[in-house]
Amino acid sequence: MITLDRASLRYGPILGLSPTTFELPDGGGITGLLGPNGAGKSSLLQLLSGLLPPSGGEVRVFGEAPFRNPAVLARLGLVPEGDRLPSGLRADRWLRMMGELSGLAGEALQAAVAKALVTVGMSDRAHLTFARMSKGMRQRIRLAQALLHGPELLILDEPFNGLDPEARLILMALLRDLAAQGTRILVSSHILGEIAQLTDRILLLFRGRLLAEGTVTEIRQLLDRHPVELRLTGEAQALARWAVEQPELAALRMEEGSVVVSVRSPRDILPRLQKAAAEGGIPLSALDPLDLNLDAVFQYLTKDHA
Amino acid sequence: MNAAPSPLATIRATALGYAPRILQGRGWVLAGLVAVPVGLSILIYTLARLQGADANPGEALKVFHEVLVKMMLPIMALVAAPAGIREDLEQRTLPLLLVRPAPAWALPLGKGLPWFAWGALWLVLGALGLQILGGDPALLPGRLVALVSAWWGELALMTLIGLVFKRGTLWGALYFFLWEPMVRIFPPFLQRLTFTHHIESLAGSRALEVKANQLLAQEQVSTHPALAILALILFGAICWALAGWKLHRTPIGLAGSEAEG
Repeated sequence: MITLDRASLRYGPILGLSPTTFELPDGGGITGLLGPNGAGKSSLLQLLSGLLPPSGGEVRVFGEAPFRNPAVLARLGLVPEGDRLPSGLRADRWLRMMGELSGLAGEALQAAVAKALVTVGMSDRAHLTFARMSKGMRQRIRLAQALLHGPELLILDEPFNGLDPEARLILMALLRDLAAQGTRILVSSHILGEIAQLTDRILLLFRGRLLAEGTVTEIRQLLDRHPVELRLTGEAQALARWAVEQPELAALRMEEGSVVVSVRSPRDILPRLQKAAAEGGIPLSALDPLDLNLDAVFQYLTKDHA
Repeated sequence: MNAAPSPLATIRATALGYAPRILQGRGWVLAGLVAVPVGLSILIYTLARLQGADANPGEALKVFHEVLVKMMLPIMALVAAPAGIREDLEQRTLPLLLVRPAPAWALPLGKGLPWFAWGALWLVLGALGLQILGGDPALLPGRLVALVSAWWGELALMTLIGLVFKRGTLWGALYFFLWEPMVRIFPPFLQRLTFTHHIESLAGSRALEVKANQLLAQEQVSTHPALAILALILFGAICWALAGWKLHRTPIGLAGSEAEG
């Protein structure tokens, strides 16, 4: 569905995206595009959605270059960042226009507008002008315009920005539903927790470079060389003595009633730790991984490349 | 997969979709630019007549040339053009249009047409209003055609300038208020590069009591009216086409306000 072959993007002298290569297969599912502000997420999305041509390399979506290519644009939907919409227009009429610009007409257009409004839960408020809508409502309309023509690929740039918690949950549920129906969704965010809740696949960008791709677990496995923090609760002195003998140990700090160890390759050390505790070799009462979540992965990777 | 809309369908959809914008603040400013000076002239004329003053057909001609053509028409273009495709560029809503399979080159005309129609309506009303001042009925068709075709050309020019230059309104204002008045001193071939030349060719200025050189910007207008109208319409069409070409060719990203890539 999506192929980037050393695709790069420059804004004059500034490199927005370093030569990047990856593929996204056909079929539904959600892919998270993760990275801090300025990582190159929007640059990548602009290449994929055909807004900008690559400065170098090649971008192919549905097998073709997407820039100003109607054959590609007819099959994708974009929800850009922010909640900007044309001032002074009514949502339903604007959606109608957007549907017509996607090649819909007549009854198919009416049905598409109605369906999109139902999907985003805005049927009863579509007669409002954008100025009279809340930010969450405008975000839903922006999503509706991207869904009108039933795109196979839906691209969302920071869609959760500025949404209240309830609206975020609603949007997440909506995206999961669409993915389950076969839509391939590419969603960018710097809000790690939200991406972790949403995606089955992650692309991690930092400073214009694709650092890693895969599931959270796969990415984590790539990171075995990076230390993982574990809190060992029990008799701290004895636990520390055991820990310093382990070859995977990278760092250790004492806390009251516990030891926090940084270890490489946790999959190697954890069985030994469990065995030692079970045999009574160490006085361990609890083991807490401190940073096996997505935030930790992100921190590790970005710190490593900073 | 839906077929991409045709250029005509794109222009129609965009024009109808954005048509409500003309009935908002900027649209009424546009209307006021014609209605206020013409209305004031009619009021002053009526008061003068009530006090016994004689009708003067030259008044209509003066309001037409000195107010509508020289001042209001350019200001209308400067006011309306930024509400066209330039508005989407600045409000960063253009990407929503550009990711559609519709031909991007048709968008500037589609967005400009409602403003053209609205402005043309008020210009026609303004020209008809001038008849109350005693305008020569024989000159009315020429005035109507001159105003509407010049509005077409000036709006198209400003739309193009707005896409080419970041400070399009400034460049447009410089053109209208520095270049156009130079028509008085230009040699004939340069006179033809002004709207004023073609407007005067179409509208004339020969009222019963006004001599040509009292109102005409130029000593002599030699361009045939048919050529003048053709020039204005063609110039407008070329500007719309160039604006469309510029939009189609320019990579415009999510940041919107500037061309990127």
